[in-house]
Amino acid sequence: MRKAKGQTVAIVVLIVLASMLLNLWLMLSMDYKANFDRYHIKLNAEHVTLLVNDTDNVPKFLSQTLENEPEVKEYCMDRCMYMVGTFPYNGGMMNGQFIFMDKQTALSRSIGKAEIVEEGKFTSGVYLPMLYKSDDFSVGKTIEITIGSHPVTYTVCGFFNSVMMGSHNCALTQIILTQDQYAELEVSNYAFQTTLCSVRLNEKSTNLTYEAKIKAIVSENFPNTQMASNCYDIVAQSRYISQGICSAIMSVMAFFVLLIALVVIVSNIINYIQVSIKNLGALKAAGYTSGQLVLSLLLQFLGLTFIAALVGVALSYALFPAINLMMIAQTGIPYAIHFLPLPALISLIILGGTVALSVWFSAHRIKKIESIVALRSGVQTHNFKKNRVPLEKTKAPLNFALALKTTLSGVKHNITVCITMLVLSLVVVFSGLMTENIIVDMTPFLNLIVGETADSAINVQTEIEDDFLEVLNSDSRAEKAYLYNSLNVSHVGGVELMATLCDDFSKVNNQSVVFKGRFPKYDNEIAIAAKYAKEKGFAIGNEIEITANGKTEKYLISGFTQITNNLGRDCLLTRQGYERLGTLQSVTYYINLVEGTDIDAFNEEMKGKFSDSVNGVINVLATIEGVGSVYVSLMTIIVIAILVLSAIIIAFVLYLLVRTLLNNKKRDYGILKSLGFTTGQLILQTALSFMPAIILSTVVGIIVSCLVINPLMSLFLSSMGIVKCTFSIPVAFSTLAGIGLIIISFGIACLLSLKIKKIAPRNLLVGE
Amino acid sequence: MQQQILLKTEKLCKTFSNGGQQQHVLKNIDLKLYQGDFTVIMGASGAGKSTLLYALSGMDTPSLGTITFGDKVISDLSQDGLAVFRRDHCGFVFQQIYLIDGMSVMDNVLSAGLLVNKDKKALVAKAKELFAAVDLSEETQKKFPTQISGGEAQRVGIVRALINSPEILFADEPTGALNSKTGLDVLDTLTRFNEQGQSVVMVTHDMQSARRGNRILYLKDGVILGECNLGRYSHGDVQRHEKLSAFLKDMGW
Repeated sequence: MRKAKGQTVAIVVLIVLASMLLNLWLMLSMDYKANFDRYHIKLNAEHVTLLVNDTDNVPKFLSQTLENEPEVKEYCMDRCMYMVGTFPYNGGMMNGQFIFMDKQTALSRSIGKAEIVEEGKFTSGVYLPMLYKSDDFSVGKTIEITIGSHPVTYTVCGFFNSVMMGSHNCALTQIILTQDQYAELEVSNYAFQTTLCSVRLNEKSTNLTYEAKIKAIVSENFPNTQMASNCYDIVAQSRYISQGICSAIMSVMAFFVLLIALVVIVSNIINYIQVSIKNLGALKAAGYTSGQLVLSLLLQFLGLTFIAALVGVALSYALFPAINLMMIAQTGIPYAIHFLPLPALISLIILGGTVALSVWFSAHRIKKIESIVALRSGVQTHNFKKNRVPLEKTKAPLNFALALKTTLSGVKHNITVCITMLVLSLVVVFSGLMTENIIVDMTPFLNLIVGETADSAINVQTEIEDDFLEVLNSDSRAEKAYLYNSLNVSHVGGVELMATLCDDFSKVNNQSVVFKGRFPKYDNEIAIAAKYAKEKGFAIGNEIEITANGKTEKYLISGFTQITNNLGRDCLLTRQGYERLGTLQSVTYYINLVEGTDIDAFNEEMKGKFSDSVNGVINVLATIEGVGSVYVSLMTIIVIAILVLSAIIIAFVLYLLVRTLLNNKKRDYGILKSLGFTTGQLILQTALSFMPAIILSTVVGIIVSCLVINPLMSLFLSSMGIVKCTFSIPVAFSTLAGIGLIIISFGIACLLSLKIKKIAPRNLLVGE
Repeated sequence: MQQQILLKTEKLCKTFSNGGQQQHVLKNIDLKLYQGDFTVIMGASGAGKSTLLYALSGMDTPSLGTITFGDKVISDLSQDGLAVFRRDHCGFVFQQIYLIDGMSVMDNVLSAGLLVNKDKKALVAKAKELFAAVDLSEETQKKFPTQISGGEAQRVGIVRALINSPEILFADEPTGALNSKTGLDVLDTLTRFNEQGQSVVMVTHDMQSARRGNRILYLKDGVILGECNLGRYSHGDVQRHEKLSAFLKDMGW
C-alpha cells in the first residue's frame, strides 16, 4: 500500500464516505426517534389526547369514565379554547386546529405539559411551538393568527416544546397565551370553550385502539358533541416522516458507497496478486504460508478500514448539526447532539466485517499460487486463447480498436465499472424522481402523503349547502367543486378509521389514492386502506361492518387505498354511503379555481356571502406551499448531496481503475509511444477503454432503475402505509443524467489519463 | 556520386542531472547520416551510444544543439511532434524486442502500420510480404508474442519497424537478447533490407554485428572518436574483418 499511495487514498476516501453515511443513518434511525420518546417521558406526555366541548357535562362524564377504565394509568383535564385557524408560515399558510391555553396551565399540567425553550421579556402575547421559529417569527416580532375568521395580532413572547401538540403534523396544534391575552380571547368568543383531556395508558401500544374506544364511548353518550383527538402512534410517525425518508436515503447511499468500496478493494487485491505474483512466489518459496500472506493483507486493509471508519464517524458528527437543524425544522422536537457509541460501533463492525470478507474472498487465490510456477512465469494478464479484435478484420478505427482490446482484457475493471455505474444510475434516477415529484412539482408527493389537494376548502353548515353550491356553480372562477369531508367511523371488531366522503370520486384530483380496485360508486361500497385490509385479511369484494353514530352498516370493499395519514387507517365512502350511518352537520367542499384566481380573496368573498354558516375556509395551496417548502428544501439538499457524492464516487473509482490500468500498461504505452502514438491518442484509448462498460451499465442501469424505482420507493415507504408508489418516472431527467454521467466519466477518465504524458519511450528503453 | 544526407546533427549535447551532479553524456557531436548506409555505432558501455541513438531517432530531446531531418529541425519538436516524426520517418528494433503481449503478432505490426497507412488492405498485404521475407508463417502471425521464440519475436520486431517503409531503421543491440544462431538470422535480415536500399543505424558492442555496417562510428566519453568505412558487406570478407579489428584497436576497444 505504501507503493500505491494514490490508490490507498482513494480507498480510504470511499471508506470514510461509507462510514460517515452509515453512522449518520444509524444515528438518525436509532436515536432520533428515541429522542421523541425521551421527551415524551421527560414531559410526561400523554398517549391519547381528547378535546371535548365544555357543554352537556361531557367533561364530567369523561372524567368519571376514565376513573373506571382499566387501561388508563393517569389522566389530566384542563380548560382551553379550540378553533381552526391560520397563520403565515414559510411563504404559505399554516392551517390547523388550534388549542389555545394559558401559559400557567400549559406549563404546569401533570400530563402533557409544555416546556419553554426560548422566551424574551415580553409579558403579553403568544408562545409558539418551536417548529415555527423562523426569520418571520422570532421573539419580539408579531404574528397575525386568524382564529376562525377573526385575525388577531400577537407579540411572540417565546417558543415552547410540546411532544403531542407541537406541530402541524400532530392534528392538534397548541398555542400558549399569556394570562391577559387568554382572558381577552375568552371574552371575544372567537374560539370554543373546550376541555383538553390527556390520558396516559398502562400499555402504550394500545393507544390507537384506546383512542377509538374512548371516542366511541363519548359519542354513544353524547351523539352531538364535537371531538378532536390524536394519539401517540399517529403523532410519533407523522413528526418523523422527513427523518424516515432522510434516514432511508442515508442507508441506501451508505450501502452503495460501501459496495463500491468493496468492489474496488477486491479489484485492487486481485490486481496486486497479479502484479506481485513473483514476489508472492518468492515469499512462499522462503517458507511463508498462504495463510500468513492473506493475514498480512487482511491486517493492512483492516488497519486502513478502522482508521478511515473512525475519520468517517468523526466527519458524521461534523455534519450532524446541519442535518439536525433540517430535521428539527420538520420534527419540532429539540435534539441535543451527543456521542452515540452504539451507532459508531455498529458502523465499525459493518465496515470491518465486510472489508475482511472481501479481502479474504479476493486474497484467497494466493493459496492457489505455486511458488515455482509463479517465479517462472510471472504475470500472465492476457488470455491468449482468442484475439477478440483482430486489427486485420475489424472495421473500427485504430484507437477505438486498441481501446476495445484493453476493454476486453480487463474483465475485473469492467465489473467494477459496471457495479459502480449501475449503482450510480439508480441514485441518479432516484434524484430525478425526487426532483420531478417533489422539487419541481410537489403534487405527486403530496398525493401520496397528503391524499387530496385543491385550491380552496370551505366548510359550511348543511342548511346552506344548496345555496352555497348554486353560488359556486355560477361563479366562473370555480372550475370544479366536490364534497370532500373527513370524519371518523369505526370498523366493528377493529379500530377507528378516518372516513373520507365524496359525492363523486371521479371529481377528485388524486385518482391514485385507490391503487387497486376502484373508488366506491354506490352507497353500499367502501374503499379501505390496503395496510388495514392486510392486517385484517380483507380482500376486494369482502363485506365490512362500519359503525358511526351508534349505527352499524355493511359495505362491500370496492378497492384499496394508500394514504399515509392516520397510519394507513382510512376508508372512502360515498356521501350516500355515509348517510346510511348518520347525517352530516357540516360539509367541506374542495374547490379548484381558475388559474390566477386570488384564493384568499375568493375565500373571503364566500365567507362574506354566507357569514356565520361558513365554519372555516382554507387556502389549501398556501398551506401546501407552507408545509411543502420544508420538504422541498430538504429534498433539494439531499438531491444535491447525492449528485455531488456520485461525482466524487465516479472520480475515485475511475482514479483507481485508470491508475491501475496505467501501471499495468506502462510498458505497452511506452512501446506505442516509441512507435509514434501521441499522448492524446493514448489518452483517448485509455478513456475509450472504459466507455463500453460505462455506457452499457449506465444505459442498463437507467432503464432498470426507471422500472424498479417505484416498487423500491413503495418498499421504503411501506411502513407509512404506501403499497404502490405512482411517482412519475423522470425519463427525460434520467436520460440526460445518464448522458451526463457518461460524459463526466469520459472527461474524468481523460483527465486522469493525463499521466500518460509522463510516460516517455526513452524510460522504457533505459528502464530494463 | 554525392550521397544524400538523411539526418545531421550540429553541436549535439546531452546532459543528465544525477543527484545534483551534471553528467555530460554527449558532447558537441556533429554527425551526418546518409541515405542507404548501414551505420554502426560502437563504443564501450557508458560511452553514450544508446543516448545518441535515442536523440537521433527522436526518442529523446537533446540538451543543446540541433538535429535536422532533411530540411526539418526535429530537435525543437514537442513530444507529440517527435511521435509524429517517429511514426512517419523511423522504424525501431529494440534489444528487448518490446512486442505488446496482449496483441497477436499481426496486430503488433498492424498497430504501427495503421497509424500511417489507412489502406488496411494494402497494409495487410505489405505485412504479409514482410512476414514472408523474414520467414514467419501465417500460423505464427496469429500467435501472441509469448507463444513464439526470441528469434521469431525479433523478426516480428523488424517487420513492425519496416511496415511504414521508414527512411531510417534504428536498431538498438538487436541481437543482444538472442542466441548466436537467431542473432545471425536477424543480422542477415537487416543486411538484406539494407541491400534493398533501407538506411540502417545500429548500436552494438558486438564485432560480428558491427561487420554488417558499411560505416562504423566509434563513440567514447560522449564524442565520436573515429570513423571507419568498411564498404558494402559481403559474406566471408576476411579483409573487412581485419580492417574493423584494426580500427577498433586504434580506438582502444
